[in-house]
Amino acid sequence: MMLQELAQKLDLKLVTAPFDREVGGVYISDMVSDVIANAKAGDLLVTVQIHSNVIAAANLLDLCGIVVTQDKQPGDDVIRLAEKAEIPIYSTALNRWQMATRLYEAGIR
Amino acid sequence: MSSESRAPQYEMVNVRAGHVVIEHDVRSRAVRSWFSAEPVAPVEEYWEGRRLWRHWGAAQSFQFDVRDTASGEVIPFRELLGLMWYGCCREDSPVRRIGELAQEQRVSIYVAITYETADGEPTQLPREKAAVLNRLFNDRVRDRSKKILILPDLFGLYREMSYGQIMIDFGLTAIDEGG
Repeated sequence: MMLQELAQKLDLKLVTAPFDREVGGVYISDMVSDVIANAKAGDLLVTVQIHSNVIAAANLLDLCGIVVTQDKQPGDDVIRLAEKAEIPIYSTALNRWQMATRLYEAGIR
Repeated sequence: MSSESRAPQYEMVNVRAGHVVIEHDVRSRAVRSWFSAEPVAPVEEYWEGRRLWRHWGAAQSFQFDVRDTASGEVIPFRELLGLMWYGCCREDSPVRRIGELAQEQRVSIYVAITYETADGEPTQLPREKAAVLNRLFNDRVRDRSKKILILPDLFGLYREMSYGQIMIDFGLTAIDEGG
């Protein structure tokens, strides 16, 4: 499934410019080191972190995008960096567990 | 976007969770960091010769080795503290300015930050190991027009960086901070 289609299904709010990519899987973590060690290329990262190092990790691993939960809003500088790296960021009011269940219901495994 | 599949030459193996422990010598003000695989980062101060090392901070992190999938050779990366993305560097720093230019060509620059020597002296990742890291991460990238370029610390970032700029989980509890 493509990321924009998934975002529409789950009513995610786009924070950056859109960069549509195929969703290969999901990884849920708030630790940058954990993401680097365990996430896979194409994964959608679900996190509460809004630090620029999350963008750095997503870019390094070629993740398809980031969903920031609990209505956290990254700063303008982080959004600019994400756009330069072509990493789309979405936000949602849901928490990580709620997001995980919605992703599962949407068919992401 | 162009993508093609090819077998990666390298894979990350022997991933060990732990902490980057940062400490300073009370007398000389030298700072050094090292990796602890203990479940809880040690915080005790201790004498080492004429130096008194005092705990300054810790960050959750991990260590890993890299295995050549063809030969089976395992290359340890125990000197690697973490990677610093150009976007996390100061806006007026050379690495940030070079990184901005490179990113326009879809090349993302990271700088490999290594642990200091026992005396707190800076070190650099050997060029051969930087080449291995570059291959490890670039082989994962699906979009072949995009490149990751990991450089040794040719910029002397160790002199001006803060540990929070490196891709380790420093200040993890401060999750409300942006940028």
